[in-house]
Amino acid sequence: MTAIAGKLDSKILNGGQKLAVKYFMVAIVLFVAQVAFGLIAGLQYIFPSLFYEMLDFNVNRMVHINAMVVWMLYGFIGAVYWLVEDESGREVVGLKLGNIAFYVLTAAVTVVVIVYLFVQTGPGTHKTLWLINEGREYIEAPRWADIGIVVVILVFFYNISMTFMKGRWSGISGVLVLDLVALAGIYLCGMFFTTNVSIDQYWWWWVIHLWVEATWEVLVGCIMAWGLMKTLGARRKIVTTWLYIEVGLMFGSGILGLGHHYFWIGTPEYWLSIGGFFSALEPIPLVAMVVHAVYDSGVHRFKSTNHPALAWLIAHAFGNFFGAGVWGFMHTLPQINLYTHGTQWSASHGHLAFFGAYATINIAFFYLAMQKWRGNVWMSAGLADNGWKWKWSLGLLNTGVVGMTIALLIAGYEQSFIERAMGGSTWQAYFEGQMHPWYIQAMQWRVVFGIVTVLGVVLLVWDLLTIGRKEARTAAVLESPDTKESFKPSSTGAAAGASAG
Amino acid sequence: MLSPVDLDNFFLAFFSAALVILMGAAYALFFTLAKLNGRRLFMVTAYLSYGLLAVSVLLLAEALNLRGYWHIIVWLMLAGYLLAPHGIWHLCCGTHVAAHETANAGDNGRIPAKTEV
Ligand code: HEM
Ligand code: HEM
Ligand SMILES: [Fe+2]
Repeated sequence: MTAIAGKLDSKILNGGQKLAVKYFMVAIVLFVAQVAFGLIAGLQYIFPSLFYEMLDFNVNRMVHINAMVVWMLYGFIGAVYWLVEDESGREVVGLKLGNIAFYVLTAAVTVVVIVYLFVQTGPGTHKTLWLINEGREYIEAPRWADIGIVVVILVFFYNISMTFMKGRWSGISGVLVLDLVALAGIYLCGMFFTTNVSIDQYWWWWVIHLWVEATWEVLVGCIMAWGLMKTLGARRKIVTTWLYIEVGLMFGSGILGLGHHYFWIGTPEYWLSIGGFFSALEPIPLVAMVVHAVYDSGVHRFKSTNHPALAWLIAHAFGNFFGAGVWGFMHTLPQINLYTHGTQWSASHGHLAFFGAYATINIAFFYLAMQKWRGNVWMSAGLADNGWKWKWSLGLLNTGVVGMTIALLIAGYEQSFIERAMGGSTWQAYFEGQMHPWYIQAMQWRVVFGIVTVLGVVLLVWDLLTIGRKEARTAAVLESPDTKESFKPSSTGAAAGASAG
Repeated sequence: MLSPVDLDNFFLAFFSAALVILMGAAYALFFTLAKLNGRRLFMVTAYLSYGLLAVSVLLLAEALNLRGYWHIIVWLMLAGYLLAPHGIWHLCCGTHVAAHETANAGDNGRIPAKTEV
């Protein structure tokens, strides 16, 4: 298991990790596609004739958000494969099948995107639904692909649960496997057809809301717990206890918090109270998580084996808190959501929450993977070139997304005020809201910060490809925080027995 | 039982909502810091943050016209944010002490005190 530091070497990776890096690579490609199409969609707000009738806004928007959901899922699957052997103490079960599933899924995603881009729309018949587009925001994939996705996820689930079953269970893996059952099961709710749009939306939100505000949140909780043990040397018992608390709070508030999407879609009135009450409690676990992250980083004095990964994990804690907690709470009570519903306000929250909660933690894992893949190289303080690339991409990406979020917030505020509250949501007020100077300027600023975001992504990709390339030192070994020993590079080459970056 | 925000209260509604969460976090953070290094100033700041939080909750309740049974949310937030950091702190201490005692065993008796990464 010894490797030459600085060189890409797959032999140092365990079986699950070899598969994980494939998932990570596709994830990064899709991340690039996401921001590229987002930028085009953003430009179309300012130049409506751009690519008109060639690549219309609805198509770009669809590719933008579908690419996002898919790259994040790829990242999560990769992260789970990355940690499964280490966590279970044995080789991953069904690796061959897992590899086939990866190629099938990637081929399916490619076909779906090609159809999105070149076929775009259909006549709206059942055939359209099966072959082109299912028409449910974020999960627009046609039904044939839906079924393929379900099969691939079943393979993934089989591999992971069997590996733990034959190996060793832990608190983290127990929560992880149960959560995967829920995550996959919920996807089925977005697959059937109904002519009643209220019923359609009712179930569609099960997928979207119960993913991002319950099952994904718990999944990243598991990944984060493992990540904190790896980057900071946090104790298993502590992170596991935290995980249980988080899961309790998250499911306790998030499941019925679903009601905040049932205010105005034709569902019964009691959802106003249920949705308002429970979603108002959703920020509490997010507050707890920030405190936990700060507490743990403080206890370990920010010493870590992988600085970029730790920085992105901290960005995750704060991004989740602000994007979901603060931005979510601001519009979650029906008394105010009546006006903000479906305005740029929602887009402001959507950008900060998805980026802050889920892009960040995936990026952290990309760094963990690169570290190990390069032969378990040093990634603590004092990187080559002072680590300018990772620092600048971190800065640019966060500035870009926060900038877009603020621009959209201003637009959303203006819209809910002028169009909704003053104009009474009439058709005319709808246009008045969008012709207001604040709105127009906000759309321009969104593109400015969108470009900053894209630059951040470009730099990120460059950094991931090059970080650690000329590094001769091997990864730092974390001392237990209790022993208060000094922090130094390991002298024994690639840390023997360690299976993660 | 539900009266939407008045036009005049728009800004207050968003602003106080954001402050509720921010002050909730500030209170929890300063509370933790005060417990960690025993500085009085931190504890004072923590309770000042809670004071601001309480004011924000009341302003929010006013702006959003939270009347009748909606009052329950107000009380839940006031009590929940006040007590949660105390609970979290106890858990932090509990788990860290427990970790000390089992430093050489850990879960499944396999996680060594020295985590090589
Ligand atoms: C990481 C977690 C979260 C993510 C990724 C997220 C993402 C999103 C996105 C993308 C939308 C827009 C959906 C659409 O296309 O219509 C949305 C809507 C919404 N979110 Fe979140 N959210 C998160 C957490 C929260 C939390 C914790 C709250 C409440 C405290 C919240 C409150 C809302 C509300 C009320 C809406 C509906 C907005 C409307 O009426 O248009 N979200 N969320
Ligand atoms: C280059 C930077 C980006 C630009 C210019 C951009 C632009 C856009 C545009 C124009 C839309 C459509 C909004 C509408 O329908 O009015 C959109 C939607 C969305 N974008 Fe982005 N985006 C960018 C990056 C991102 C990133 C990094 C994320 C998250 C990781 C993200 C997540 C979303 C989400 C969740 C939606 C749906 C929001 C909703 O329906 O409320 N975007 N974006
Ligand atoms: Fe939601």
